[in-house]
Amino acid sequence: MSEIQKLHTSFLLDTGVGKSSIVCRFVQDHFDHNISPTIGASFMTKTVPCGNELHKFLIWDTAGQERFHSLAPMYYRGSAAAVIVYDITKQDSFHTLKKWVKELKEHGPENIVMAIAGNKCDLSDIREVPLKDAKEYAESIGAIVVETSAKNAINIEELFQGISRQIPPLDPQENGNTGAIKLVKQTAPTSRRCC
Amino acid sequence: RSYYGGNWASFSFSGLLSWIMEYQENSDIVNESPAWQEQILLNEEAIALSKLDKTIQHVEVFCYASQDMHEGVEEAGALQKNHSPMTSANSTEAANSARLPTEDESLSTVSGEVLTEQTPGSDLEVNDVEVTRVKEKGCDKTCMLSTSEEGTSENVPVVEDIAKQPKKNRITYSQIVKEGRKFNIDLVSKLLYSRGLLIDLLIKSNVSHYAEFKNITRILAFREGRVEQVPCSRADVFNSKQLTMVEKRMLMKFLTFCMEYEKHPDEYKAYEDITFSEYLKTQKLTPNLQHFVLHSIAMTSKTTSSTIDGLKATRKFLHCLGRYGNTPFLFPLYGQGELPQCFCRMCAVFGGIYCLRHSVQCLVVDKESRKCKAIIDQFGQRIISKHFLVEDSYFSENTCSHVQYRQISRAVLITDRSVLQADSDQQISILTVPAEEPGTSAVRVIELCSSTMTCMKGTYLVHLTCTSSKTAREDLEPVVQKLFIPYTEMEMENEVEKPRLLWALYFNMRDSSDISRNSYNDLPSNVYVCSGPDCGLGNDNAVKQAETIFQQICPNEDFCPPPPNPEDIVLDGDSLQPGTSESSVVPEANSETPKESANLWKPEEHSE
Repeated sequence: MSEIQKLHTSFLLDTGVGKSSIVCRFVQDHFDHNISPTIGASFMTKTVPCGNELHKFLIWDTAGQERFHSLAPMYYRGSAAAVIVYDITKQDSFHTLKKWVKELKEHGPENIVMAIAGNKCDLSDIREVPLKDAKEYAESIGAIVVETSAKNAINIEELFQGISRQIPPLDPQENGNTGAIKLVKQTAPTSRRCC
Repeated sequence: RSYYGGNWASFSFSGLLSWIMEYQENSDIVNESPAWQEQILLNEEAIALSKLDKTIQHVEVFCYASQDMHEGVEEAGALQKNHSPMTSANSTEAANSARLPTEDESLSTVSGEVLTEQTPGSDLEVNDVEVTRVKEKGCDKTCMLSTSEEGTSENVPVVEDIAKQPKKNRITYSQIVKEGRKFNIDLVSKLLYSRGLLIDLLIKSNVSHYAEFKNITRILAFREGRVEQVPCSRADVFNSKQLTMVEKRMLMKFLTFCMEYEKHPDEYKAYEDITFSEYLKTQKLTPNLQHFVLHSIAMTSKTTSSTIDGLKATRKFLHCLGRYGNTPFLFPLYGQGELPQCFCRMCAVFGGIYCLRHSVQCLVVDKESRKCKAIIDQFGQRIISKHFLVEDSYFSENTCSHVQYRQISRAVLITDRSVLQADSDQQISILTVPAEEPGTSAVRVIELCSSTMTCMKGTYLVHLTCTSSKTAREDLEPVVQKLFIPYTEMEMENEVEKPRLLWALYFNMRDSSDISRNSYNDLPSNVYVCSGPDCGLGNDNAVKQAETIFQQICPNEDFCPPPPNPEDIVLDGDSLQPGTSESSVVPEANSETPKESANLWKPEEHSE
């Protein structure tokens, strides 16, 4: 019987780079040319097999808060992995990516798995970021790197499988069961008397 | 600011050190030339905003843990220097400089046992000479206390090895710095009443999805120099070993009456004009029980609270029992500072935009209509809106010349054990230390364990809060001395009596919660003011304020309605903001971010 391990994945980076379309391709195997800025959705889930385990990705959308470099630290809480997406046709996006790596190293969980996705690899004739640069950089920070195309469904599964392989095995003491309380709507609230 | 939540924020240890530095250096900020004045047109006036946040004062830091490590201690996981020199320099700098000002002050403390080193804040470079010098100093000061242990740490030059040291309960300053991100230190210390307005709002708005909570596990009392657990639920009272059978019956009877005191007016009407503490004396309760009810359950003042106030507070406490556990309070994992972020996140999901590190120079007021029409930001960009929500800390002295503020005294301590040791070391406790002198107020102590995700394993994070009568240190240090001992004194004694104090921070925070809008000079009617945090334990005040402001701006809208199901959202071209009901600030056509609304103000104004 395979175990299900819950994962968090933060997505970081400027919009317009294909962050949402990667999620969309991954979760729904679907690509929309005119994908609108993510509104109203907070996270999606997808389960992928990895060895004997099933890895469930809880993919948090950062709701565009990174646009003005205003990502709230709460996104890092309990995240097992972060995918940082850049656009291979935009050198600027690669610079922004480095800023995010720095931010994550400074403030993220210590053992977070980082994956760098160079999106839009279908447009390699107008490429600005050489794959070699990305690979060297990824190696220097110990991150996974792949070039993806959400449009043509290239390397999207591989990206998440790569992350899966790097997630340390389930630690029963660490995972779940911290006794934390989730507040939920009660069907029949007992006396609504308030303070 | 570079963080969410203003004075509601929480910080990692290094983040807090930077915050401390910011307020200790507050006076050095150079006044920029007011380029924005050129932007003001003939028919307009400007209300300049304050660049300095004056809500925090009297920041004092003390380090008691031994600093036997070399200077270059960095947070674990931080980038190597060759990859990002700025990262490491910043965190080191923060650590150094924040420690520096403690030197003079700590030497003048009563205890005189403070272990602070003379580490010049400018020495950012780590070199071997420096390391040796500092190590020797650390040793000089501590070796008299425990030679063997100091010897060990002196022989361990590398940070990694320290972590592997078999010794338990020897936490050094560098360990705190190294595990700095395990800390989430709130500027405001509050709890959520489990039937309070904030819990209701979190649930109603689905914002609760983004947070997790822990129940406070113990209510404590401080009586005759000792910390005791207060039985408050029915089960607690029955199981209590410290109460006699007679006391149990008395307490049960009294608490049952308090639950429905309004139905029995004959039992309290005659005592309405006296204080609650006097009233308690008339109710067959032993002094022990009177203390528990007055200070730890009702949490009211001995001298000023009336019978009715006390009964109300007791009933509120009792009503909150049992919803999520054996005490009436919840605490958010990762700290209270998560909550503003949770609200911001929900807002962002529906198109709200946040700009951190972006300051605002002035409000632009139309001379004719006397309404605010725009703001001008640090880059001279004009951002137009119909409504402006401003936290009072932004207002300059001109605007606030008639305002009198109260102050909150705060202390944040890192200790090595709980004030009341129990079977489990993962207790979350609230303790009220009654005021000793007339005119001062009781001190609220909240002790958080590492499973609240606010401090590293093996430590406790202790928050002290009271209404100020003097500076934070003057108000709170006596209580700190009653409950804790500085790290070093401990070593002399064989028996562990009190928790050891590793690190302490004191500061005063302005309490603007009761300032009426009319006290500010010349505010246009479409400028709404929100206050900073209040001194109370719960969050009702902030929720009420947020709702009131919301109703003024959007009179016919539901406050924080449940979000629609993502599948029900239809996106039709231009109107991409189905759920936004915040004040939207629309930039001018020539701005760099066309078609986007910008909310440049602090995030808490619609969150808390």
